[in-house]
Amino acid sequence: MTIELEGKVEDIAGGKASAGPDERLSAPAVAISHDPIESAVRLKPPIRRGIKERFEASDPDPKLEVSKSKFVRRLLANRKLQFLMILPNQIVFWTVIFVGLLGTTVPGLNFGAAITWYVWFCLVFVMMVVVGRAWCSMCPFGGFGEWIQRRALWKKTQKALGLGKKLPEPIARYGFLIPVLSFLILTWIEEFFNIAGPGTPADTAWMVVGIVSFALLFFLVFERRTFCRYFCPLTSLIGTVGSMGSVAGFRTKDREVCVSCQTKDCMRGNSKGFGCPWYTWPGSADSNLYCGLCSECYKTCPEGNVGLFIQKPLTSVVQPSRRRADIAWAIALLWGLVLFQQINSTNVYVSLDNWLNRHMDFAHYPNPVDYIVIIGLLALLTAGIVSLLANVLAKKEINFDRPGDFVDKKSRFRAFFLPITYGLIPVVGADYFARQLPKFFKHSARLVPAVGHLFNAGTASSSLYSFRIIDNPWIVVVQVAIIGLGTLGSLWATWRITNRELVSVSKSAIGVKLATTSLVLICGFAAAILYVAMHAAS
Amino acid sequence: MTILEDKDMLEKVFPGLSRHGKDPVITIVADRCAGCQECVIRCPVGALSMDETRWIALGNSDLCVGCRQCVRTCPFSAIYIEGDPQVSARVVLEDKEPEKLLYSVEELRQGFANFEEALKEANRCLSCPDPTCVRGCPTHNDIPGFIAAIRENDLQKAADILAKTSCIPDICSRVCNQAAQCEGACSWSLAQDVPVAIGKLERYITDNIHLQGPVAKSGMGNSKVAIVGSGPAAIAAAWELVQEGVGVDVFEKDSKPGGLIVWGIPDFTLPLEIADRPWKELTKAGVNLFCDHKVEPEAIAGMLDKYDHVILAYGASAPIKTSAPGNSYQGVTDATVFLQSAHQNLAEGGNRKAFLESLGLRSETTLDGNKDSDNQSDLDYRILVLGAGNTAMDVARSARRFGLKATCIDWVDERFAIARPDEVAEARAEGVEILFSTTLQEILAKDNKVTSVILAETKQEKSDVAPKILGDKLREVTVDLVVMAMGYRVDQGFASRYLPMPRNRNISIPDHTRWMASGILASKASPFAYSGAVGTQSLRREDGLLQAQLPYDHRLWIVGDALIGPATVVEAMAHGKRCAQSIIKSLLPSDLDGIRSGGYKVLVCYDSMGGTTKQIADDIANKISHSANSVTVKSIRDTSKADIVYADLIICGTWVEGLIFTKVGPSKSMNKWLHELPNLHGKQAALFCTYGVNPKSTLTVMTDILSVKGVKIITTMALKSKEITTADYATKLDNYLSEIAMYTEVDFLTSHKVS
Repeated sequence: MTIELEGKVEDIAGGKASAGPDERLSAPAVAISHDPIESAVRLKPPIRRGIKERFEASDPDPKLEVSKSKFVRRLLANRKLQFLMILPNQIVFWTVIFVGLLGTTVPGLNFGAAITWYVWFCLVFVMMVVVGRAWCSMCPFGGFGEWIQRRALWKKTQKALGLGKKLPEPIARYGFLIPVLSFLILTWIEEFFNIAGPGTPADTAWMVVGIVSFALLFFLVFERRTFCRYFCPLTSLIGTVGSMGSVAGFRTKDREVCVSCQTKDCMRGNSKGFGCPWYTWPGSADSNLYCGLCSECYKTCPEGNVGLFIQKPLTSVVQPSRRRADIAWAIALLWGLVLFQQINSTNVYVSLDNWLNRHMDFAHYPNPVDYIVIIGLLALLTAGIVSLLANVLAKKEINFDRPGDFVDKKSRFRAFFLPITYGLIPVVGADYFARQLPKFFKHSARLVPAVGHLFNAGTASSSLYSFRIIDNPWIVVVQVAIIGLGTLGSLWATWRITNRELVSVSKSAIGVKLATTSLVLICGFAAAILYVAMHAAS
Repeated sequence: MTILEDKDMLEKVFPGLSRHGKDPVITIVADRCAGCQECVIRCPVGALSMDETRWIALGNSDLCVGCRQCVRTCPFSAIYIEGDPQVSARVVLEDKEPEKLLYSVEELRQGFANFEEALKEANRCLSCPDPTCVRGCPTHNDIPGFIAAIRENDLQKAADILAKTSCIPDICSRVCNQAAQCEGACSWSLAQDVPVAIGKLERYITDNIHLQGPVAKSGMGNSKVAIVGSGPAAIAAAWELVQEGVGVDVFEKDSKPGGLIVWGIPDFTLPLEIADRPWKELTKAGVNLFCDHKVEPEAIAGMLDKYDHVILAYGASAPIKTSAPGNSYQGVTDATVFLQSAHQNLAEGGNRKAFLESLGLRSETTLDGNKDSDNQSDLDYRILVLGAGNTAMDVARSARRFGLKATCIDWVDERFAIARPDEVAEARAEGVEILFSTTLQEILAKDNKVTSVILAETKQEKSDVAPKILGDKLREVTVDLVVMAMGYRVDQGFASRYLPMPRNRNISIPDHTRWMASGILASKASPFAYSGAVGTQSLRREDGLLQAQLPYDHRLWIVGDALIGPATVVEAMAHGKRCAQSIIKSLLPSDLDGIRSGGYKVLVCYDSMGGTTKQIADDIANKISHSANSVTVKSIRDTSKADIVYADLIICGTWVEGLIFTKVGPSKSMNKWLHELPNLHGKQAALFCTYGVNPKSTLTVMTDILSVKGVKIITTMALKSKEITTADYATKLDNYLSEIAMYTEVDFLTSHKVS
């Protein structure tokens, strides 16, 4: 805490004599900076106009600050915290690689394949939905790259290893669409080799090796966590689905302190920590979208003005006042992908895939053309329905168009598409989660014989190998229930979003509420029906 | 603040605009921009604003002049500028060619001839809101401030602005290597364009304004300060002290004051009347100057008995000697001897005979007053200068002024040379032969007199890797005199007693985020300013500047080259000035209100285990914060050297570590921190500790450590952790603060709110 009487706005306004010659320095210095050139600095005052309105809705409740607790404070201030979170995962994933390559070829008995697909993937989803980017704070892929890039496991270092390039604007402008693309590619590879089945354990190992090498490459070429923010296949899911989570991330306690801060240690780093690896400034964060929970800003803030906050579930879905087109399209595409993964076990799809493969001389599931076309069509279908709604419902006298870049351009379609897709996040998230459940319920117990197998103990004849927590049709019931829950979440979020953002621009308040909630119901219904159909097909 | 709307207004605000090349285009990466406004508050022309709904920065390319300060300050690299810097061409002043080099002491570098020229150059300045040039300047002159005053044609105002931070702007503007300092750090330079001619503008002020000398105030009682040495550090210290009415005695070992600036810099770079000015002014103001008075290190203790403070500013004047075989032959001399003799013999109108004979060379020149009667055998003398730095250039160019042949050799590659490139070019133009990648292997002699040298070639790939000597590429060159000009170091007598070099920087540079924020560290200087890492170099100087503000020992101060090794005139001057300001502060009687009326700076630092000590530190700070004084609360881990240097009062608290009966004392980290503090003579501190059972000797231990560092302990307080919940706690704090207030005579407790 630092107190500087002379610099406070009220005092200058009160005509205090000692404000004297530094009136030009209109940005009040909150900290006593010992800047030797203070008298020659004539910074312009930061713009504060509109700041309250912009962040009012999404600012966390001060009562929900976790870092008020002494224990949490000490934990967060410790530089070893993140290292200790990454370390166990690091050990597990190197084990996955070695056991996957050298261990048994029986997927269910191979520790690498078993832990990855029966347990890990499900756990990541639970963390996503409950916390947000919890996985990112302990991720061994990014963690490994970061250790190398920083030349340190936990210490604050000065010089980074690698080229430290900045991701060029022509690519960066597509924001979240880049990781969606990489997720689509990875999923296709995964389907092609049946890695997640799980199939041959070595394939799982190679996939992990591939991700680690890609991550390392990007960490060495680009600065900070450019990989995690722009290229990591999982980031598109964690970012969007994670916004349902109840952790708001690291936010500012008093925005005025952040605005008048002249050093921005949280962005640039100082002796206590690195500048935000995720390109997030606590002073303007309005959701948990890009907060990797690494706590660097907490460590670096010279004013102790950064806190770790929790929030009510779905807050980051409902509240942000800046909705981004890249996120909206990402949700639509991810929705398309998860539907594809449900459709692909239906008979209709199998005959379509076979037919295409015959005509294309591509003798393997999944055919890349139908893969991309189906996902694209599903995303476009969502967009098309929204476009139709926008055409019918939008007030004709409002001119929605405002030029801008891809992320921020405005149009009538976007005025409806962005809020509506954000509202779909819970149902999309629930669908991804439900899809992981069968493997978890049927096979997660295999982890025990798989671990045993490492020590020549576990076998496929072990009772745990074939133990199922629950079996069909109960799994389908749980899946449908999960979808039901997601749909409820979506309904609530969409209701809030519609009231806040769409009612005022629509001709009919009831009409738009009816339309958006029906869309959510249709989506939820489609997902639920598909689970029943999948079960029937198998 | 005026908000610019179009290009016409832009031209009014920034008259140095020149539309040429590719127009600048601002691109903001909407995905990464966090709306932190680091760029908005620093854009000199207001081309950046905020989009309120998206809360990201908004660029107006029409207004952009391409200085790229936004690019350098953006923490997230979310802004790009394409296009050329839109600044008019620099006003070029050709150096004067000496009409006749022989015996010439004419100043060669020229200043602006008239206001129009100066204005045209001044208009190129952007008046950056967060000026990087000021950081690049070792004494932190308010450069945009004085340039703005030049634009208003108010040179007196400009001189007054300079006087705040510099007492010798006339000297600095001539001898500073601006390319490595202010001009290198100019926004245009960091944008890879040609910087504003800051040095020439500074010189324009000093050429056209009668610079004021110090005027002695009365009121400092009988305080007396002794200064050893009379170079730039001593000048600045004496200037500052005599102005405040402190009695100053200066002891100089040479017969003339000024140190290196008088004999070390030839007159063609720094005319004598300018080099002499400071001491004329200082003696006029009442500084007692004792020349030919060498102070031995042993005598310092005695001086401390007679004076309130002693400042050691003995500089770094011991020339570094070559270790090549034959270095003791007759005809091997050093730059000091050579330059002193050259200075003297040029000042007297040019006397080659006396000059050569002072260096032990036989002269055939007749002394009949006819300087044109050159004897060829004299002119055939070849001087070999070891080194190709600025001193070496001065030696060689001085030799040329006596008509002698001069060769400089340096083992570094020319790409990594340390001399000012303009100086190298000037020297070559005057006929000096400069050989880089060449080193001396051996000096050969006949009858103990130097006849020739063996030179070897070297090869250097990187600036930070020492060159390799190619042993097979040797050649012999006939020379008559070898001058060692490889640099200087601090006189060993003093160095061994006080500060062995390199100096141990016991506390690192303070966190430099404010420097990063200004953008000075983000890019190198432009090729015009020799592409140096000007930001890092500037930041490195800060530690020395802070150190100069702290005493070396009780009432004993070391400043300038003596403190940091051979550096620049301006840096030494900045040291002297700051040191003197610290001394004045400590001499200020308490009834004089200078620092007491508010702006008294209190540092509350603590080491807390469970949070109780922190709590008390915060409570103390809260109470003080209602008075007119400023207070900073920091954990000792976060406390920088600057925090300590600038604090008038340090309140320091710790938790009590140890088992109930044994090893009870201040926490280990507090102990370590206290031990690592620099000497802080003259500072005042109050201590407190929080304990569970018994603090035992905790406060005594802390008092002892700090007393050795020269800190005066005002009062101490031991609080039982449980006490802070009781009613007594507030009373105890009040008593503690009243005691501090009584001793320091600063009112900490009266609420100072404007009614």
